[in-house]
Amino acid sequence: MKTTLGKMIATATVISVAWYGSVYAEGSDLTVFDWSGYEDQGFFADYMTKHKTAPSYTFFGSQEEAFTKLRSGFTADLAHPCTDATKKWAAAGLIKPLDTSRLVHWDKLSPALTKMDGVVVDGKVYMMPFEWGNTGWIYRTDKITADAVSLQLAVDPEYKGKIAIPDAASSAYAFAALGAGVKNYANMNDEEFKKASDFLRKVHPNIRFYWSDAGQLDQAMASGEILMGWAWNQSELNLQGNKVPAVMMRDVKKGIATWVCGYVHLNSSTQSDEQVYDMLNALSSAASGKYIVEAWGYAHANTEGLAAVDPKTIKGYGFDKADEFFARSLFFDAVDPKLEAKMLKEFERIKSGF
Amino acid sequence: MAIQLKSEASKGMALSAPATLYVGLLVAVPLGILIVYSFWTQSYVDIDRTLTWANYIEAFQDPLVRHLIVRTIIIAGLVTIATVVLAYPIAYFIAFRTKKQTLWLLLITIPFWSSYLLRVFSWKLILGFNGVLNSALMTIGIINEPLTFLLYNEIAVVLTLAHAWAPFAILPIYVSLQKIDRSLHEAATDLGCNMYQAFIRVTLPLTVPGIIAASLIIFIPTVGDYVTPALVGGSEGKMIANLIQVQFGAANNWPMGATLSLLSMLSVGFVAMLAVFTMNTAGRRIR
Repeated sequence: MKTTLGKMIATATVISVAWYGSVYAEGSDLTVFDWSGYEDQGFFADYMTKHKTAPSYTFFGSQEEAFTKLRSGFTADLAHPCTDATKKWAAAGLIKPLDTSRLVHWDKLSPALTKMDGVVVDGKVYMMPFEWGNTGWIYRTDKITADAVSLQLAVDPEYKGKIAIPDAASSAYAFAALGAGVKNYANMNDEEFKKASDFLRKVHPNIRFYWSDAGQLDQAMASGEILMGWAWNQSELNLQGNKVPAVMMRDVKKGIATWVCGYVHLNSSTQSDEQVYDMLNALSSAASGKYIVEAWGYAHANTEGLAAVDPKTIKGYGFDKADEFFARSLFFDAVDPKLEAKMLKEFERIKSGF
Repeated sequence: MAIQLKSEASKGMALSAPATLYVGLLVAVPLGILIVYSFWTQSYVDIDRTLTWANYIEAFQDPLVRHLIVRTIIIAGLVTIATVVLAYPIAYFIAFRTKKQTLWLLLITIPFWSSYLLRVFSWKLILGFNGVLNSALMTIGIINEPLTFLLYNEIAVVLTLAHAWAPFAILPIYVSLQKIDRSLHEAATDLGCNMYQAFIRVTLPLTVPGIIAASLIIFIPTVGDYVTPALVGGSEGKMIANLIQVQFGAANNWPMGATLSLLSMLSVGFVAMLAVFTMNTAGRRIR
């Protein structure tokens, strides 16, 4: 009876998902489950030359949503999570290891990325790193000086109601780990976990809101409703594009985090490996790298791609110090599952003032 | 030859069969799944299918769950009271004081012409830091700095929900007012009641069913609302549905989510029954 129940749920989901998906399915046979925006054909020009039609894309808004959808039976060939999710996806049997010998650009990808935890899970490569960027402390330069700014200002009573951090446990704990001076964010012991939680508890009274979409944060920062926020470099670009005097604190000593996302081969894939690897090779080419930096302001995994861009642009985005970042910033590693569950639970309490 | 249904009962059964089937499949079955899930437990990415009370024990021991359920019921209760109190005069006006009833009813449905999400966002624009209200007050010179207590708290949630649900309160109250036999009102006046007394002792008790219907229609769905608190509630305005959403999403703990859903259903059911009983008694008393 239990299995029948499971099947019923799965069938119902598959039917609804299939119906939804069919609205989008108009490209080639290859299907990619991605964040919206990544269907930009500049990212995979080589694939277009060879196969003529673009893959069909289905989008997710958060990694948790993607995980839930894949678990309930949604199928695709490739997906685009970040390194903090791969361990869980692999444990759930959603993804299969990649054959790096078939990835023609693999050797040109930054070694700091191809060896990192989350790209490699249990000694096997599960992800082809694609792009990376920073999550950091963005602040209004007209209200706070570069010397004065620090993560510790988040607990300063003077900034009551002037702070925003993400409404996502893992991201909030990365911020807290840096703020409280805790190392090993992904494997904190009980004492370190308590230290980070206490930091978040002290930040809580100063929080205006826990942001769930970057637009909310950007607008609040632009209007002066908040003065500091833990956010992605995308927000910094957006704010500067709108002439708001805001910048990300890029001092590795004061605390900054790096996120890395990439493509994984789903177990539910139905298309030939040849097509899948053609796509992966197109995505990791130097041309794709150049394009993503210039058009999007994200850093690409391919070092040759970064080298091809005007150094001024690279410097403007802070990608010139990539090695320093990789060596010293906090990486969004795959958090230990037990710790992750603890973080989620504790974060809900902290947000409600417990 | 067409099949002839013999008794009234079988005719009734045949007529209600589609609806019964529909409700059975779309309400009873999912509810059954929810109940089964609540007795399972999550272990990392898999579900442990041994039946256990573990989720219920955990939920009962967790002060956060209690706190959120109580807050949810308070918020939903405030929304219900605010909406019904504000809706009653409007319904009264439409039922007794105007001849253009169709026009007025049409006007009342206007908020429904735009998406619910858009209405929530408009409240965000109105109450926001550099929103309509703050800008207006600053232009007039009443305040120097934007008021920050307008958004991201319980008040914002109550305000937004009360606006969104207003038509649901006006319509049932209007119908119950409409049904009142006008001669009862004349009789009350003949017997020496003034306007106020006639309202309290005749009109109001006769509209209790309408008030109960309106209250339930508002109270029950608002308890389960998670979009509004997520957008305008901040951390002070979080409700139980937000915690349930976390269980089904980020926490990937469907069994716990199912348990919390059932617990909130039970508390809503209990509070709603209590409210119906109180209102019925009160309605009978004032007469």
